[in-house]
Amino acid sequence: MAKPRELKRRIRSVQNTKKITKTMELVSTSKLKRAQDRVVGARPYAQALAEVIGQLYSAELAERFPLLRQPGKTGVRRAALLLITSNRGLCGAFNANLIREARRRLEELEAQDAHTELHLVGKKGVSYFKFTKRNIASQRVDIGDRPTLEHAAELAKPLMERFANAELDEVDVVFAKFNSAVSTPPTSLRILPVLPPDRRIGGSADRAPSAHPAIRPSVNYILKPSAEEILKQLLPLYVQNQFYRALVETAAAEHGARRTAMKNATDAGSDMLNILQRTFNRARQAQITQELAEIVGGAEALKG
Amino acid sequence: MRVSVISAERSVFDGDAEVVVAPAYDGLVGILPRHAPFMTLLGEGIVKIRQSATEKVTTRLQVAGGFLQVASNVVRIVARSARPIDS
Repeated sequence: MAKPRELKRRIRSVQNTKKITKTMELVSTSKLKRAQDRVVGARPYAQALAEVIGQLYSAELAERFPLLRQPGKTGVRRAALLLITSNRGLCGAFNANLIREARRRLEELEAQDAHTELHLVGKKGVSYFKFTKRNIASQRVDIGDRPTLEHAAELAKPLMERFANAELDEVDVVFAKFNSAVSTPPTSLRILPVLPPDRRIGGSADRAPSAHPAIRPSVNYILKPSAEEILKQLLPLYVQNQFYRALVETAAAEHGARRTAMKNATDAGSDMLNILQRTFNRARQAQITQELAEIVGGAEALKG
Repeated sequence: MRVSVISAERSVFDGDAEVVVAPAYDGLVGILPRHAPFMTLLGEGIVKIRQSATEKVTTRLQVAGGFLQVASNVVRIVARSARPIDS
């Protein structure tokens, strides 16, 4: 049996670790709350944009917009994949899941003979793909857990331009979709070309009921300057917003994942403490019993 | 009529109003109740929302980019950026 002093030391160490994980859990909970508010706050805008683009869209207009250009007969030749991961670890399998999804999507694209370049956001993704010695087209680790619209615009701009110039046939983003704090599946989303609205405009989140009064479609609008001009302005905003949402949702999902991971660690710490405490008590008892037996034995020997 | 102002980050304003003046791409547009269905691009400037015809309660918002949409007595201003200005 282990020595009581040794056990005491381990108990203290587990207690300290538990305090740290507990604190990290609390920090994540409060950050999650704020990140979640940003995710919810961004929804009406995305929904409104998707709705309007859906209303203005028509097949004959579509041919004039480079952002709506669908891959031709040759299929996708050059694609770009943007993977969003977190900068920090200690959030369970969060980043591993995202990286796995990205690799799956990369293989899928490469199976179609598409030359795929990789763009990375977040330290975890960068260090993984550096480790596998894959070519990285661009990387940035400065976004952190409070992404802004400017960040999204900086990411979107070069990709949109290159797509418009037909240097890319497809742009995908891999991010953690924030369904709820406990459900954040890694998701691949095709951002470019923008899909025609009859097939899909926006993900399921866009269809969620909005607090704002809905404006019914199929109204004959007075359009100024023209449907074409409005679409021309709104499509880039829509694409930019998709990047923004991917960033915001991943940030919220990261905090959710970290909270869960830290809660598990705290619980595991409690279990371990229980066992250690019990072992310690037993060891202490055994020691006392043994000492008593020795004293009694000694006394008996003196009597004899 | 119902007015809502939405920016990329959050919903900035939501409520009833009597008059809305917004900066369209080519100049100011004023929207009164029962306006015909209308959609226009937004420029950069100040949106004024007067909430009541009798009392002078006006909300001012700095907006840039996006669009304005009016239909069935609902005005929706969807701006790339929008933030309230204190009087």
